[in-house]
Amino acid sequence: MLQILAAGIASSWAAAPTPPLPAEHLTIATVGPKSPHWIYVVDYAYNNEIDSRVWLFDGDSHRRIGQIDTGFIPGINLSPDGKTTAVATTYFARGGHGTRTDVVEFNDNNTLSKTGEIVIPPKHAHTLATLFTIGYSSDQKFVYVPYLTPAASFGVLDPARKKVLSEIDTAGCTLVYPWGPNHVSSICESGRLLTVSLDAQGKESGRTSSEPFFDVDKDPVFAQAVPLKDGYAFLSFLGEVHEIDFTQPKLAMRTPWSLVSAAEKGTWRPGGVQIGAVHRSLDRLFVPMHKGGEGSHKAGGTEIWVFDLKSHQRIARWPLDTHATGPAVAVQVSQDATPLLFLATEKSHLLILDAQTGKLKHDEPSLGQTPQLLLNP
Amino acid sequence: MKKLDRLFENSARSLAKRTSRRSLLASLGQLLTGAALMPLLPIDRTARAQEPARPSPDEQQCEYWKYCAIDGFLCACCGGTSTSCPPGTQSSPITWIGTCHNPADGRDYIVSYNDCCGKVSCGDCFCDRNEGEKPMYRLSRNNDVNWCMANSESNYHCSVSVILGVAEK
Repeated sequence: MLQILAAGIASSWAAAPTPPLPAEHLTIATVGPKSPHWIYVVDYAYNNEIDSRVWLFDGDSHRRIGQIDTGFIPGINLSPDGKTTAVATTYFARGGHGTRTDVVEFNDNNTLSKTGEIVIPPKHAHTLATLFTIGYSSDQKFVYVPYLTPAASFGVLDPARKKVLSEIDTAGCTLVYPWGPNHVSSICESGRLLTVSLDAQGKESGRTSSEPFFDVDKDPVFAQAVPLKDGYAFLSFLGEVHEIDFTQPKLAMRTPWSLVSAAEKGTWRPGGVQIGAVHRSLDRLFVPMHKGGEGSHKAGGTEIWVFDLKSHQRIARWPLDTHATGPAVAVQVSQDATPLLFLATEKSHLLILDAQTGKLKHDEPSLGQTPQLLLNP
Repeated sequence: MKKLDRLFENSARSLAKRTSRRSLLASLGQLLTGAALMPLLPIDRTARAQEPARPSPDEQQCEYWKYCAIDGFLCACCGGTSTSCPPGTQSSPITWIGTCHNPADGRDYIVSYNDCCGKVSCGDCFCDRNEGEKPMYRLSRNNDVNWCMANSESNYHCSVSVILGVAEK
């Protein structure tokens, strides 16, 4: 009897209609409070290059926060205070064709909205992703944009007044490596760095040329230098590290050192697109390394090698599961006390490792088509 | 005034003693030869193809010997061949070059990699090989820049590989 009663009650409950879902309200998500574990992933979208973009990704919650549109073969960088993403790019009037307009766009990183632009001469350098295809002066008063027609020069812009201030001929030297409030260096085929000084109006006030520090025929350096506390490190195809102190009035070249032993030289090489990252307070250098010969300098790393910048000793080798993810073509590290190492791979994965142990914390597949540059403040 | 006349006369005689008509001809000849050896200016030398493209299967493979320093989409997969741009595109008059070894005849060839321009990326047969490729500061050997940059339509579509001649050893 009790069983029949219970069954009756259950069936009446099952038959009772469930309350309807409440009405929803359409909102626009906000970016939320910043984290040192955020990473800006630049997707060059090779299959449809007029439509490149930057993904902002949270390395802790493993979610996409939002996107910035970046046009055709852009130069992209963050402002020194991290508040702005500056994009030098090209648009065609009719989508894939038509009149070319080059522009530097400024995006507010708190909202991921475009806040302004400067139209520049239609000759910003269309080239591979580097940290040096647009750059800020340390005080953020100037923005520098390399031009290529193929004659090389760079533009000096005023981001506050949204004006082009000047164009400076670099005599065949290329890209912009900014330092301090008013110095810009460019890298030259002669193995030197040309450094131009600017006056308060953004006009050239002087120029100097460094001593040659590499031989392009014997062992070229990657144009993609690695920012240091006091300058930049240029890594060579064969693994030499050329650290250059930019804080001196005259650039000071430190004694080069090698990523590889004599036995490894010519076999193990750095490679990819963004070929190194430094944790500035831990003095750690992270480099994607692969086994390969001449011509393999764009091959991604099958391992990450970790070096102590003070002792120049290799302190770890972290092999990657390249079968699943492809080798690493770009590397970046967060600058906090519990750092994350970010790797973009040939198969468009974003890998997140503990930067102190090498332990894989997250594998994000399909982050864009061809992610090749990773930015963080 | 006489002093001035004498000065010029002495100078002319001295020049005549030191030189000859032949040396003048020799100098002129050197100048002309030098001019001939100067790099050719970037002008469009594209011939108009007479027939539709019929690429060989080799030309659609990244491993094809002529592609040893190419970086981009193979035009042979996009309506062209290894030496012709697809219909409706423009060829880039400025290029990067490579030196590739042809295993069939054992020779090294200088190859010009032109980009084909004016349409969005082809998106097929991406090929990235870098034998002898150099960073952007040696521009003539760099395959990372958009060589459509100087075209009236500077969008990048695909890349070809054209033999310029046998590389001198």
